[in-house]
Amino acid sequence: MEKKELWDKCLSEIELNISKANFTTWFKNTYIIKEDSGVIHVGVPNEFVKDWLYNKFHKLILKTLIGNDETIRGVEYSIHKHDPKNENKTDEGVVVKKAINITKELPLNDLYLNKEDNLNPKYNFNSFVVGPFNELAYAVAQAIISNPGQNYNPFFIYGGTGLGKTHIIQAIGNTIKINHPLKKIYYVSLERFTIDYINSIQNKNPNSFKEKYRKYDVIIMDDIQFISGKDKTQEELFHLFNTLYESNKQIIFSSDKHPNFIQGLEERLQSRFASGMTVQIVEPDYESRVAIIKAKFESTNCIIEPEIVSSLAESLEGNIRELEGSLNTVICQSQLKNRSLTLAEVKLLIKNNIRPKKTVAIKDIVKIVADYYGLAEEVIYEKTRRKEIVRARQVAMYLLREDFNISYPLIGQKLGDRDHTTVIHSHLKIKVDLKTDPSLLQEIEKIRIMFK
Amino acid sequence: MKIECSIDKIKKALVSVERITGKNLTLPVLGSVLWVASGKTLKLRATNLNIGIEIEIPAKIEAEGTVAVRGDILSSLFSILQGDLMVKFELINGNLSVKTNTSTILLKSISHEDFPTIPMVEGESFNISNSKFIDGIKSVYYSASISEIKPEIGSVYIYPEDDMLVFVSTDSFRLAEKKIKIKQKLSFEGILIPFKNVVEIIKVFDGIEDDLKITLQKNQISFSIENIYLTSRVVDGSFPDYKQIIPKNPTTKTVVLKQDFISSLKISNIFSDKFNQIVLTVKPHDKIFEIKSNNADVGENTTIISGALSGEDVSANFNYKYILDCFQSISGDSLDIELNGNNKPMTIRGIGDSSFMYLVMPMNR
Repeated sequence: MEKKELWDKCLSEIELNISKANFTTWFKNTYIIKEDSGVIHVGVPNEFVKDWLYNKFHKLILKTLIGNDETIRGVEYSIHKHDPKNENKTDEGVVVKKAINITKELPLNDLYLNKEDNLNPKYNFNSFVVGPFNELAYAVAQAIISNPGQNYNPFFIYGGTGLGKTHIIQAIGNTIKINHPLKKIYYVSLERFTIDYINSIQNKNPNSFKEKYRKYDVIIMDDIQFISGKDKTQEELFHLFNTLYESNKQIIFSSDKHPNFIQGLEERLQSRFASGMTVQIVEPDYESRVAIIKAKFESTNCIIEPEIVSSLAESLEGNIRELEGSLNTVICQSQLKNRSLTLAEVKLLIKNNIRPKKTVAIKDIVKIVADYYGLAEEVIYEKTRRKEIVRARQVAMYLLREDFNISYPLIGQKLGDRDHTTVIHSHLKIKVDLKTDPSLLQEIEKIRIMFK
Repeated sequence: MKIECSIDKIKKALVSVERITGKNLTLPVLGSVLWVASGKTLKLRATNLNIGIEIEIPAKIEAEGTVAVRGDILSSLFSILQGDLMVKFELINGNLSVKTNTSTILLKSISHEDFPTIPMVEGESFNISNSKFIDGIKSVYYSASISEIKPEIGSVYIYPEDDMLVFVSTDSFRLAEKKIKIKQKLSFEGILIPFKNVVEIIKVFDGIEDDLKITLQKNQISFSIENIYLTSRVVDGSFPDYKQIIPKNPTTKTVVLKQDFISSLKISNIFSDKFNQIVLTVKPHDKIFEIKSNNADVGENTTIISGALSGEDVSANFNYKYILDCFQSISGDSLDIELNGNNKPMTIRGIGDSSFMYLVMPMNR
């Protein structure tokens, strides 16, 4: 008979013979440790229980044990702290079903923020996938790492959300930390920077703020676009920038827009931000997505079939952060089921993660463009050839074709029943003008921001 | 059972014994004090299955016997009971009758059959001056962690080192260490006594001038002195290797007056934030030993203390409550405070007293 079974049986008999209070006080947390040639060793939690069992209940225990197993000749008590479950496992080789480890994805144990530089060690270049969409940024990063403050200063990186801006700038910081241990690095989000500044004013100690930021050799500032409208912070940043820049300290910014399109940003900052190296990260193309997915699965030791990879890469467009989220779902599910998933299962899993393709009403675009140029929406549709209206109409056509891939005849028909050749001409005209007219480029970028 | 004894002795014994009775336990008899009258003594016994105590009182015994009475009732009764020096106790129909020259009281008893025995610890034993031992645990016990999640630091650690007995406790934010010189050389493995039990041990034994006999056994320890026997559970675990966090070569050394330091910390009490944070800055070259606290709602305070300073400039944040705690263990007038760089631990010792050391961990903003 198994020890646990034997003891449970005895306990249920003993329970009938003594009061409930006595039973719970003295027999809770007891168990059989081992049996040694007829002598049962009972584990008890402390000396008091041991004494009392021996003095008061010894006969009862022995009698009950013998009643269940005639070969038993004696009982010993010893103090044991260990969990009986562990004992079972080691002694009898009872294989306890392992809890499924679905936490593989987030190895939080050694992830901490370094207090001195605020960098998160999780970001490094080992886990960074380089593709055509970010190779320029990567190359610049490498140049900065080998020679901080010399080559590309400031480094301004911009692109949509979840494309790896934070990853690349934190990785630069972490790598510089390894290669140049003497350099003082500081990573700060603009929000933190603003709070620091406000606190320093509150505490009437603006110098502490100035000193704090001026002592670093590399400053990494994330999400700089939130500076818009914060005039005093801008001024402070402007002075900080000048001081650091003059003493050849490396400055790195990230933003979701090009400096010229951050609204409410003072011109002197705009020009400074763009004075070094400005690099855009765009959404990863299909091949890069395949590479990212493969890297992700390899890092978690998951085996995945090629057709699933290509299906995932096809359906999960755009944002890498969301892509990772979808992959986590797939990995977690496959670990739970302890097998690799089929294509159909994967598709079912990620169906909610796929973004609907951008659709747009032509009218809305026209309205945005008309608003931008300060025109009434209707005049775009009219058959007028006034210069300012023509330009707005052409821009609208260009955007509809370029950004939303709407067919020429349809654009023509919707914009005042025009011929498709008119649309082709407009498209081409704007395209050619863009190459020579930077202000037109700015206009179009600003409009694009509005309908994003 | 029929006995007669001095009311003072009973009162005194009940104060210690009643504290130990088990509260909120499933077994009601544990909430009682067991009276055992036999030979020439009355024994009062109580336990909560964590710690057990037995106190012997000389008594005139006419008939032997045993009875268990609820501890809370006994202690409230005897704390107000006045009368002449002797009280008579008699067991009538299983209930305890108490007679002084003015009052007659009948106390209901509880069946004493289920009252557990108190383990007699058998093993290696040694004697130590009680006042020294109590001084040792009193100097450090307040640093132990109150939580029982990590039993090894929710305890006072006692171990022998050369001709010393060392008492240590820590809750991982601060650490107190006291060394007591003893006559004989001891060799036992370090023992961990749970914090709650240490509090009881101090309450029971404090103020007794005699030798304390300590007996050690695996899992259990006992203390006996004169007429008191107390036994406690010992925590099964190992105390963290604390020596490695004590800075060996401090970079900044300071000596300041204890009273100055305490006053400045008390001011910080008013101005510190909800984390009790103070900033301690030492600049030996400018002769500055500065304590600063600041609360956005109340205001801020900077106090400069004069003292003998040497070494490097340093600044660190601490919880002033942890610092204040240690002064109960330092009797001298001056403090030897050592720092080891920005935001590194600080050690505090009394000047001319190498037996006590207190270490405070810095706060990270």
